[in-house]
Amino acid sequence: MCKNDCKDEKMKALDLVLDAHDHDSGSLITILQKAQDIHGYLPAEIIYYVAAQTGTTPAKVMGVATFYTQFRLEPVGKYLIMLCKGTACHVNGSDRIEAAITNELEITNGQTTKDGLFTLKNVACLGCCSLSPVMMVNEETFGTLTPEKAISILNDFRNRKEEEA
Amino acid sequence: MRIVVGEGSCGIAAGAGKVYDALQTAMNPSDSFELGITGCIGMCFLEPIVDIYEGGDLLARLVHVEAKDGARIAEAVRGGDLSSIEDLKIQEEDAGFLNKQTRIALRNCGIIDPTDLNSYKARDGYKALEKVLKTMTPEEVIEEIKTSGLAGRGGAGFPTWFKWNAARGSAGEEKYLICNADEGDPGAFMDRAVIESDPHNLIEGMLIAAYAIGAKEAIVYVRAEYPLAIIRLEEAIRQATEAGLIGENILGTGFSCKFRYMAGAGAFVCGEETALIESLEGKRGMPRLKPPFPAAAGYKLKPSNINNVETFANVAWIINNGGEAFAAMGTEGSKGTKVFALTGKVKRGGLVEIPMGQTLRHVIFDIGGGIRNEKKIKAVQMGGPSGGCIPENLLDTVIDYKALSATGAIMGSGGMVVMDENTCMVGMARFFLDFTSKESCGKCVHCRIGTKRMLEILTRIVSGKGEEGDIELLEELCNAIKDGALCGLGQTAPNPVLTTIRYFRDEYEAHIKEKKCPAKECVELLSYKIDPDTCKGCTLCARKCPVQAISGEVKNPHAIDQDICIKCGQCYTLCKFGAISVE
Amino acid sequence: MSEIKIIIDGIECKAQSGETILEIARANGIYIPTLCHDESVAKYGACGLCLVEGEGLPKLMRACSTIPADGWILHTDSDRVLRARKVALELLMSDHDGDCKGPCSLNCPAGTDCMAYVNEIAKGNYHDAVRIIKEKFPFPASIGHVCPHPCEDACRRQYVEESISIAYLKRFAGLKDLEKDTWKPEVAADTGKKVAIIGGGPAGMTAAYFLKTYGHQVTVYDAMPDMGGMLRYGIPEYRLPKAVVDREVKEIEDLGVVLKNNVKIGKDLTLDEIRKEADATILAIGAWTSTKVGCPGEDAEGVLGGIDFLRANILGKPEEIGKSVAIVGGGNTAMDACRSAVRLGAENVYVIYRRTRNEMPADDEEIDEAIEEGVQFKFLTNPAEIISENGHVKEIKLQVMELGEPDASGRRSPVPVEGKFETLQVDTVIAAIGQKVDPEGFGVELNKKGIIAADETTFRTNLEDVFAVGDATNKGAGIAIAAIGEANKAAAVVDSYLNGELIPYRKPFVSERDLETVKKELAEKEKKARIKVPKRPAEERKRDFKDIVIELSEEEVMVEASRCLECGCHDYKECTLIECANCMEICPSRLKGEIHPGFTETKLITIERNQNKCVLCNLCVRTCDEVTGKGILGLVGRGFTTVIKPEFNDPETISGCKDCHKCFDICPTGALKLLD
Repeated sequence: MCKNDCKDEKMKALDLVLDAHDHDSGSLITILQKAQDIHGYLPAEIIYYVAAQTGTTPAKVMGVATFYTQFRLEPVGKYLIMLCKGTACHVNGSDRIEAAITNELEITNGQTTKDGLFTLKNVACLGCCSLSPVMMVNEETFGTLTPEKAISILNDFRNRKEEEA
Repeated sequence: MRIVVGEGSCGIAAGAGKVYDALQTAMNPSDSFELGITGCIGMCFLEPIVDIYEGGDLLARLVHVEAKDGARIAEAVRGGDLSSIEDLKIQEEDAGFLNKQTRIALRNCGIIDPTDLNSYKARDGYKALEKVLKTMTPEEVIEEIKTSGLAGRGGAGFPTWFKWNAARGSAGEEKYLICNADEGDPGAFMDRAVIESDPHNLIEGMLIAAYAIGAKEAIVYVRAEYPLAIIRLEEAIRQATEAGLIGENILGTGFSCKFRYMAGAGAFVCGEETALIESLEGKRGMPRLKPPFPAAAGYKLKPSNINNVETFANVAWIINNGGEAFAAMGTEGSKGTKVFALTGKVKRGGLVEIPMGQTLRHVIFDIGGGIRNEKKIKAVQMGGPSGGCIPENLLDTVIDYKALSATGAIMGSGGMVVMDENTCMVGMARFFLDFTSKESCGKCVHCRIGTKRMLEILTRIVSGKGEEGDIELLEELCNAIKDGALCGLGQTAPNPVLTTIRYFRDEYEAHIKEKKCPAKECVELLSYKIDPDTCKGCTLCARKCPVQAISGEVKNPHAIDQDICIKCGQCYTLCKFGAISVE
Repeated sequence: MSEIKIIIDGIECKAQSGETILEIARANGIYIPTLCHDESVAKYGACGLCLVEGEGLPKLMRACSTIPADGWILHTDSDRVLRARKVALELLMSDHDGDCKGPCSLNCPAGTDCMAYVNEIAKGNYHDAVRIIKEKFPFPASIGHVCPHPCEDACRRQYVEESISIAYLKRFAGLKDLEKDTWKPEVAADTGKKVAIIGGGPAGMTAAYFLKTYGHQVTVYDAMPDMGGMLRYGIPEYRLPKAVVDREVKEIEDLGVVLKNNVKIGKDLTLDEIRKEADATILAIGAWTSTKVGCPGEDAEGVLGGIDFLRANILGKPEEIGKSVAIVGGGNTAMDACRSAVRLGAENVYVIYRRTRNEMPADDEEIDEAIEEGVQFKFLTNPAEIISENGHVKEIKLQVMELGEPDASGRRSPVPVEGKFETLQVDTVIAAIGQKVDPEGFGVELNKKGIIAADETTFRTNLEDVFAVGDATNKGAGIAIAAIGEANKAAAVVDSYLNGELIPYRKPFVSERDLETVKKELAEKEKKARIKVPKRPAEERKRDFKDIVIELSEEEVMVEASRCLECGCHDYKECTLIECANCMEICPSRLKGEIHPGFTETKLITIERNQNKCVLCNLCVRTCDEVTGKGILGLVGRGFTTVIKPEFNDPETISGCKDCHKCFDICPTGALKLLD
């Protein structure tokens, strides 16, 4: 992948996003979502850059970036585990799943493993209540979890990483 | 013949994608049958589901299909003889889950291909829009909706025609029609199912509403947590635009309406309409003071109308079938049908659409099949964090806005979470307050600090540190927060606490006075014990205990050191001899 | 615009349609509390304090933003409104991590604003320091000399190293200000009302001072030849030179207070005669009778009462005490007595105390100085018998004691060691173990202890127009500043009584930080030693009654004063939050819980932002956006953990911020502070 040009490439991509939204602060949330897709998170310089480009202030952009749970100001692991904490999942034991993941990966909600592979994030209802308890790892959804099943899924991802390597 | 795989989020999570791949692999270029997808049929407990059609007729519905079944399904379909896959066919009692429903909002879900405009059109799609644009005035549309008695399905139950009329009556050329698809109630997924399974139905309903109020732009504000819904909506918008159903001079009638969506970024409070508008404007989703109401000054301070997905999903049907047909269903005060997301400890969970006026018991037992594992039902939670828990003895309450409000719960957006005897009601209240306190935007004092304090009190109760007077303190806080909070989120946040205190006060008292959790769910109030007479000394529990709290010689009874025990319950689950009890 | 009529709290209000309930209420003089509202910015509706209830309307409404319809009937004080408001205030205060007042001030029975005057002293503004002290009592110099300073006991500097020398600083400022043009209060126009005060001690004179400034005609009656009470007659000259008392009494007299000495009630005048002349009477007669030792032989010649002994010295007619003197007791009066005995030439002076030094109520410094002056302490002894010869004390037999179990007060009770005694040869025994009230001749109701019974919030006796304060009431004798504290509160109550409606004293609610949290923070502070106030050498001072203190230099005083941590809030007097919090009875402690993330920072250069005190009214952010158009401040985070932060790192923005201060101006609490 790119090494030196990487930053410029990303900024170019961001500029395209800004152009597509007329540099309008009314589209700030969408712009930040795309910026996060590009960078993986929202670094401080991007906050400042977006503020300047949309004619608003860094304080306002920070306000938005910290209000919504989707935005991250820190980089996340390769695999983002979104553990559903909705009602149905709660009733069906999501707390135990969380305990198992925490135990296995030695991270708590919001943290990233030392190897940078996994980030655990508790989320509001994912809407797969009938399959509760549920978690999503990146884009994939996994339902009717048990602590054992959750761990084995994480191991699959870990192996996937090794295979790629 | 046609093989259709149900690819809603639930289906995919259950493995529908792999089933589809397996079927595709199993197909030969020479095969005459087709392979397709559909959205969510709403029988989540049977996913992955594969339907086999001959023309419009459903020949077989296969359930709990696995990838390894792909080849023999393809083989059976190829041969025209489905007897070899008899074992995969849905059981009759499970089929009843669907047969006992009346589907209007969900009429196409699980039947059409959500990625195909023609599939929608084949089921009268966009006929209502054409009828409206070509033969009706906006006033006539509003009148038809008024006749139908359709009320806001997002939770409040406000008459839809009234909002449309107010927005229509507001001065100004620039008006907006907004769909609230920020379905944030934990335990509710009706809106997601509609968008994933029948996106054009939403678009059609919104275009009709836009015409009625005079909006030139329609916007769907959809939850970021619904990636598949976003993909299907985006695709549907593209198709509809291409087909001239969106944009300038729609169907050559001179009516123009732009259409777009915006993905939310994770904030429950954005389900509150003024917070949603703030968010649409690119700001922090903090509710505005009302008045002015959105009908007068909403998005960009222009007249705006906001309805929920399910509300719009009924509109095309009402236009096609007439308001009276819709009003013929339901009760005096609540017309038409309502979709519920039935989940929790119920046997058959999924989407249930039934006419208003049926009882909760009917939904949970006749449709949902009752409680799993032959346990007793304790309560059903309706309306999510804004709603309340309805106890077993009130299950004959009919589904009706007023009747449900009288119990202290609300109709809500449709979340229906069933709880059995092992669900702690104080823990349940704590769960919701944990949710609302995290989702509070932080603007008003009552909600920002009030929900936090309620959570702290509930936390101390479930951890055995409750104090005499805590129930009364909670009640006082609840009443003050209901009165003082700025928006609906805060005003309704106390409901789960108030209803659980109302119906399960004894559970609160047991936690506070006896330091016991009657449902045996509150970990800090439990103690695990090994019965020395039953224990065989197999050592399994001692080996698996994460904190080495269990000791004992092989073939001799073991014991748990209560000071070390973290009450994880692993030993209890592991013991093959039932020697471990919990109190 | 059309005119509408609405009714608020029974008052018919005319208004223009389009006006908010708050605007209409304010125009009609109806108070509705608000915290987050300001006319300069858009309506916001966060604080929830302005809720009102409308008859027939289901929901409470925010007065700041609701536009009423013609004919609405509104209530700002219905039970439902008050409940919602009370909870809002309790929630706000439960999450407000700040100290309204310094602990020094809260621990001062008179409520003196120690922090404020110490800060003035640090700048050399003695005149202002005295002005601040005189908001609470008129004896800065005298009290500065003698006060056992509860303020210093509470001073948070002790968690860094040692308390600030607050009492000495007050003494210094008080004396400095007496040197020339001492600060004088304004006296309100004559109300024509007359107040009689019986007793010219610290309490009586304090009440006289304030009632005079309120415009009433005040006469003080006292049985002694000069005013000052115990300050004059109960404290030896070496601790408080009487010239200082004279000067401060004169200041009060100069305001127009009439002083009548040598008047004994019951003999020269009756209470009824005084009441006939006055609209209100205050009894501040003190506790002037010594408690007896309570052992056989105590009626012998040579057994004296502590305060009688001290008074005789001051009146210039000291008792004949001989060479050996035993003082019974462990309080400050005992110290005054023993050190006076040394100065009168006694060679063997003993202090007999039944507990150990640790339990002695006297100031540590006083004990040290007494020891330096040669006083011998007989701890763990108690008089068993006073043995006399020819009717005069000869020796005192002491029961030896030991400490037993702690009593209700937490102090370990002394218990006799059976059969163990000790005997001292003495010429005089002075009983300094307590004082009693002599209510003879007043005819007001007494409590079980024989002390004048006065209501704790109105200071009223059983007689409607007679009030009582100080040592003569309720709990009996205490320290001067406590009597003064009652007097300044009673003065306000009596003033309200004279104005036609008696308003009882109510302790104001103040916000206080959690001490354990504070201790942790203070442990990090840089240490600056407390200055030691020098005293004349023991050998020299024990020979005379002259002041024992050697004054510090102004420089030294300023350094000491600058050790103040300024725990109290700079904004206390202007704070809208605390004003609202005191508009009703609240109890935030029942909602005690986690506090939002706090920090203090100075990114805005000229403004210090203390997030601990922020109530998220968002006025600063809104002003920064809407009024200045800068948008420098913003909300960060969501819900309970939301904080306000300026988010910038470029010099241009910062400099643009420097001279604005609009956020500071609008902040309703002390969260923002303008730096010098």
